[in-house]
Amino acid sequence: MRFKKLAAVGIVGTLFLTAACGSDDDDESGGDEGSEDSGNDSAFAAPDPDTEATLRVWLNGPDTPQTMRDYAIETFKETYPNVTVEIEEQEWDGIVPLLTTALNSADTPDIVEMGNTQAQGFEAAGALVDLTEVEGDLGGDDLLDSLKEAGSYDDKFYGLPLYAGARVVTYRTDLFAASGIEVPTDLEGFVEAGKTLQADNAGTPNFSGIYFPGRNWQAMLSFLWDAGGDIAVREDGEWVGQLADDGSVDGLTTVQDIMENANQAPADSDDRNDYIEFCANEIGMLMGPGWKSGQIAEECPEMEDKLGVFALPGSDGAVAPSFLGGSVVGISAKSQNTALAYEFLKLISSEGFQTQYAEAGLIPNQKAFLDKVTGSPGAVAQAEAAENSRFTPSSEFWAEVEGGDILQDMGTAIGNGDDVADAASTANDAIVEILNQ
Amino acid sequence: MRSSLGSRVFANGLALLLIALSAFPVYWMLTTSFRLNADIRSPGPEFLPLGGTLENYRSVFDSDNFGTSFANSLKVTGLTVVLALFTAFLAAVAVSRFRFRGRVTFLVMILVVQMVPAEALMISMVKVLEGWDLRNSIIGLTIAYLAFVMPFTIWTLRGFVNGVPRELEEAAMVDGSSRLRAFFTVTLPLVAPGLVATGIFAFIQAWNEYTFALVIMNRPEKETLPLWLQSFNFGARGTDWGGVMAGSTLITIPVIVFFLLVHRRIAAGLTAGAVKG
Amino acid sequence: MTTVLSEERTVPGPPSASGGTPSPRRSWRPPHLLPYALTVPALVAIGAGLGYPLYRLGIMSTQDYGLRQQFGAPPEYIGFDNFTDILGDTYFWEVLRRSLVFCLLAVALTMVGGCGVAVLLGRLGRVMRTALSVSLLLAWATPALTATVVWQWIFDTRFGVVNWALTKLGFDYEGHSWLAEPLSFFTVALLIVVWMGIPFVAFTLYAAMTQISGEVMEAAAIDGAGSWARFRDVIWPAIKPIFVVLVALSTMWDLRVFTQIFVLQEAGGISTETNLLGTWAYREAVTGNHFGKGAAIALVMVSITLLLTVFHLRQMFRQEEI
Repeated sequence: MRFKKLAAVGIVGTLFLTAACGSDDDDESGGDEGSEDSGNDSAFAAPDPDTEATLRVWLNGPDTPQTMRDYAIETFKETYPNVTVEIEEQEWDGIVPLLTTALNSADTPDIVEMGNTQAQGFEAAGALVDLTEVEGDLGGDDLLDSLKEAGSYDDKFYGLPLYAGARVVTYRTDLFAASGIEVPTDLEGFVEAGKTLQADNAGTPNFSGIYFPGRNWQAMLSFLWDAGGDIAVREDGEWVGQLADDGSVDGLTTVQDIMENANQAPADSDDRNDYIEFCANEIGMLMGPGWKSGQIAEECPEMEDKLGVFALPGSDGAVAPSFLGGSVVGISAKSQNTALAYEFLKLISSEGFQTQYAEAGLIPNQKAFLDKVTGSPGAVAQAEAAENSRFTPSSEFWAEVEGGDILQDMGTAIGNGDDVADAASTANDAIVEILNQ
Repeated sequence: MRSSLGSRVFANGLALLLIALSAFPVYWMLTTSFRLNADIRSPGPEFLPLGGTLENYRSVFDSDNFGTSFANSLKVTGLTVVLALFTAFLAAVAVSRFRFRGRVTFLVMILVVQMVPAEALMISMVKVLEGWDLRNSIIGLTIAYLAFVMPFTIWTLRGFVNGVPRELEEAAMVDGSSRLRAFFTVTLPLVAPGLVATGIFAFIQAWNEYTFALVIMNRPEKETLPLWLQSFNFGARGTDWGGVMAGSTLITIPVIVFFLLVHRRIAAGLTAGAVKG
Repeated sequence: MTTVLSEERTVPGPPSASGGTPSPRRSWRPPHLLPYALTVPALVAIGAGLGYPLYRLGIMSTQDYGLRQQFGAPPEYIGFDNFTDILGDTYFWEVLRRSLVFCLLAVALTMVGGCGVAVLLGRLGRVMRTALSVSLLLAWATPALTATVVWQWIFDTRFGVVNWALTKLGFDYEGHSWLAEPLSFFTVALLIVVWMGIPFVAFTLYAAMTQISGEVMEAAAIDGAGSWARFRDVIWPAIKPIFVVLVALSTMWDLRVFTQIFVLQEAGGISTETNLLGTWAYREAVTGNHFGKGAAIALVMVSITLLLTVFHLRQMFRQEEI
């Protein structure tokens, strides 16, 4: 009897011990959104050049080249010689649970990068420092609109756009020449070119005039927007789905036309490995990020002089609306080095740093730098496409839509030959339900 | 043991078939690790990597953190296996040899604990470890792994301990040994097969675990091998499959080494000390 | 007659030495500190990591807990709303149905296959046994993600070996997508899960079989027992306790299977048609950062698993102890 009680006490005691120790960072302690200073200009006042500290910066994936990281560290050292900047590379895979647990700890990194579709969730949760008052010093109105939108929530500015990528068309110049096709000047011409290529190259196994795997939803958006449709818009505080409206369905019908008549990519795959198919001579045109041509050239250098890039033309002859993807960087709300982190952000947003993105084939974060985008044809086409860039619904719940594969599944259904209006309607209902939760 | 030629042939034939089935994907992984990325997804499977390349292995060894990840994985896994086996053996002995109040509750409780999906506990567990300042530490990750490995280990070892007759322990006690000593000198060696089986289980669980390592060890110098393997996945830019396969091959080797070191003990059986009657 | 199997009660020990022998005349036994002391390390090991999280799991399941709450906003207590949401969602029931069928098939195949392999291991000569053991180990030790990817390649629509082999044999399987239709998708998934699960069962059962003394096996053979009788009367009783544990464990794991399904979903098919409990829970709770709902889902899954395994547990307890 006694021992049963002892054992019970022991077990319960263990639980409470862990509960007590574990509740240091409990909900009740509250997370303030500003830094440890009382949220006015003093939070961002430039620190003393002699400051000693370690600044931890998380950058994701290989997108920011090592040369740029080195440049940032060295340049920062000139102003703050006693600050050690550690740039740690994290993988994009699993970044959301990683950030969810990391930003909430005392051991948080100071600066984090997040995708434009993931940022708003964190902003809404108060995980990042409010940068509204220093927005002007970080680029202000010159920052690319759609990225700035991703970095903002509830009219406050939290995430500095880091770089962007727009969708463009990469094509085989030699196949165009063989079929007597010129770079298309409008959307219809683009579709026709695809079909012509398909017909002329029917002998080549697995050939696609326009490579369009069903899960490539970012590419579908261009057609949708061009036809006057959209995913969803906010009216009176509620999200209204537009995926099933006429404009959207028209655009998606064009997509189905391409998928059935100019394409042999599987309906349920995505575009991640299309560069390999391109190298295997199976693609006439593909729709993808601006750096795709560089990736192809690296994979099979013999293709390099047969590559061309152009921005997708719209029905009206101007550049078609294009999905702008990219990253934003923010300062963790629990960081102890807010002022220093802000200085680093200024460095990131500076011309010296941003123009290097341009040279790496990515779009820098401010319109003023867009004309610096030279070098590869891919980069130039991107800059063109970026001028008519659009963004997915600006909601803290958009990440859930993407994670739920809703648009991807819709694309697969369309690629399978299902009725476009039905597929769109199913997706629309699902999206609206999530956005309005 | 006598067995007819026919049944021996049958057994060996079946074994060969199973070897082929179980090893084929692994063989595929191995051959892929010797191929260039452009060739990996190409029509016409190549069964023999003639004209292979060591490029993938070179990129594996060149990659940052391979060495540290390897060391971290080794430490965490080793610690997990040792601690799990030790504490589970003690508990297994307790529930098997004694009838104490709370025994059934204990057994059922830890089984229920095993039923909870790990992901649901992830965030709270990170908070706990942080509270003890064990984030980004080998011990912290070991605690997390122990929690998930122990219930099965206890249940299984209990079954093995049940298979050892208590008379053997009692015989030792008659000879003057304490009960506790008897468990270690008599029972422990006889449940060696069980220890090996559960040890391998614990090893593999800890060695290949990804999700908890991801959120607990978020500094690059602390990462374990499964996290390191993800660095070959470039997200939207595709994946370096050759690197992934080469990395996976290397990751699998220590497990095989561990197995080869301990597998003889599975067949130890009761060679001595069987009660004759 | 030699008995070296697990029938503990055939030889009663001296009444005072062992602390656990049931004494019908007394209902209160002298307390022993030892068993409690022996279980404390295990409790600490498990409790340290899980104590607080389990407690939080219970609490969070009754809250509306999302990313905002993670960063400090106070959570709203919503009672059982999470649970009613889940149980009222028709899609949940569909996913559950699929998961139960999948789990049943996976467990059955894994256990029967694993048992067969274990028996086979016992019959083989040393060289073959080591060879088979190593192959099984390779299958078990390969990281689940990598193994699933390789299997997906084997069944790939364009470049897969299976399609290539079937076409060579004369069937028209060129460009056949194994992942497009749910039934075929789950067949591939089942194959992968069973392939990964059999080694573990085989090794553990084999280890249990080695505890049967060689003499007993030979005695049975001398008595003229055929293979099946040997299995039924000698091997089976010895491994039954472990077997039952493995069934319970396999059920738990196969009900919640995640990695293999998720990786296959990334490669093809329509995810809403191929979700099982594990991937559904992940999409609901993790990608949407709905931690409260995730906690409720976890508890629902525990309940379902308990229901499935309670039969085994009762069997086990009834058979061996009071």
